[in-house]
Amino acid sequence: MERTVGATDLADPQVYAAGIPHGVFAELRTRPGLTWNAIGGDISDGFWSVSRHRDVVEVSRDPETFSSAVGHIQIYDIDADALDARASMIDMDPPVHTRLRRLVSAAFTPRHVQSYAEAVRNRVRDSLDAFEAAGAGDWVAAVAKPIPIGVICDILGVPEQDHDYMIELSDHLVAGTSSEPLDPGAYGNTTDLRLLPFNSPAAHALNEYAHSLGEQRRRQPQDDLITKLIEAEVDGERLSDEEFANFFRLMIFAGNETTRSSMSHLALHLARFPEEFDRVRRDRSLIDSAVEEVIRYSSPILYFRRTATRDVVLAGTPVAKGERVVMWYAAANFDSDVFADAERFDVGRPTPPANVAFGGGGAHFCLGASLARLELSALLDEIVSRDWSVDVGEAEYVDSNFVNGIEHLTVSLR
Amino acid sequence: MSDDPTQAADAADEVFVVVDAQTCIGVGQCEMLEPNVFALDEDTDIAVIIGEGSLARSRAVTVIDRCPSGAISIAPPPSPTPSS
Repeated sequence: MERTVGATDLADPQVYAAGIPHGVFAELRTRPGLTWNAIGGDISDGFWSVSRHRDVVEVSRDPETFSSAVGHIQIYDIDADALDARASMIDMDPPVHTRLRRLVSAAFTPRHVQSYAEAVRNRVRDSLDAFEAAGAGDWVAAVAKPIPIGVICDILGVPEQDHDYMIELSDHLVAGTSSEPLDPGAYGNTTDLRLLPFNSPAAHALNEYAHSLGEQRRRQPQDDLITKLIEAEVDGERLSDEEFANFFRLMIFAGNETTRSSMSHLALHLARFPEEFDRVRRDRSLIDSAVEEVIRYSSPILYFRRTATRDVVLAGTPVAKGERVVMWYAAANFDSDVFADAERFDVGRPTPPANVAFGGGGAHFCLGASLARLELSALLDEIVSRDWSVDVGEAEYVDSNFVNGIEHLTVSLR
Repeated sequence: MSDDPTQAADAADEVFVVVDAQTCIGVGQCEMLEPNVFALDEDTDIAVIIGEGSLARSRAVTVIDRCPSGAISIAPPPSPTPSS
């Protein structure tokens, strides 16, 4: 069967060295059907690239056909025992996924998230006050990193003095998706890297930390998410040590790297499109749509992958059972069939249609979406209230094919 | 002809909505948008219909679109009772 093979290997982190490769994605979107990606030029080791918005939505909403469980949700494949060891709800399909998700979903509904509003606003104010006093600095280290980690740690119940350690560990997790080699023995790790999430020793360290904090909460319960997880029951049974640690790790990673990315990009957008931020300053009813536009434009997660459980036709292309299907959220978010003048940053862009930065919908829709929106609107509101104008240096991107993150960004206030 | 559901001729008609409890994952967008129609049950975290469960078609379409799991749908109209 003839298949269209893409000229660019989208699995190569170098493709994302300067952020989203808009030209490459635009070309993908206009090609009819799906495009086969040969990893490292090997046509037998590849995956289907899904780049259009409607196709990403279709895949997202059909977990029976496009499973998160039968294969890994990252591009690279891992052995069944490795998959088992690291699986959290993100690696599962309904109905198992549903039961796990419901253990924590109440803490993240729009209504419940509002209860964190004051704490979030205080963290944002403290960071921005310090940044203003300094006048300039690395926005990522000073603002984009500490705020989200502080917020998710508060929700989980991780003490303040351990927040820096959580930042350090989750940074290493992201490093696991890049082309940099890792030291397998870091953090006293003796587990085979194959069995660790992101193949990273930092995951081992997070597991250890999770267990020790879980033990403390078992003895002295508190009103936090860790206690809720420790005490939770699925089908009358408590979570195993492994399930608990996997859950904790998912919260730490998902709750911080992504929001860090959109907060970092927000500073870039402020520098590139100051007149758009002026619009928000003059009319605060634009805050919500402006936040959505920051998220769309940042697309912090470049992709997630699914595996076909049966032969199926998607976008007119036959996909065989067992083949990998990769949803490029960052491509779908600039689909001009859905977003008029897609490469324009417009704080008043109407929604619906929803962007797919939080996923294409369905069971795995980002658990933290309301929390992310709360954090970003607090940051945006504070920035426009302070009437900031900024200059930025060149963004240094995280070396990854999975996250669209920024390592360092020098920002100076004018 | 406009595709905008809020402009359709029947946009203001009242419709009844239902929640598929198996599909609902408790995201809570429905409750946020239409708190007189939807609420997340305190114990199960599943959306339930409160009150009449009816709202304008255009608003129903909006909340259906915003539900990420696709658990909400418009209830079919009751079938007419045959005259004896």
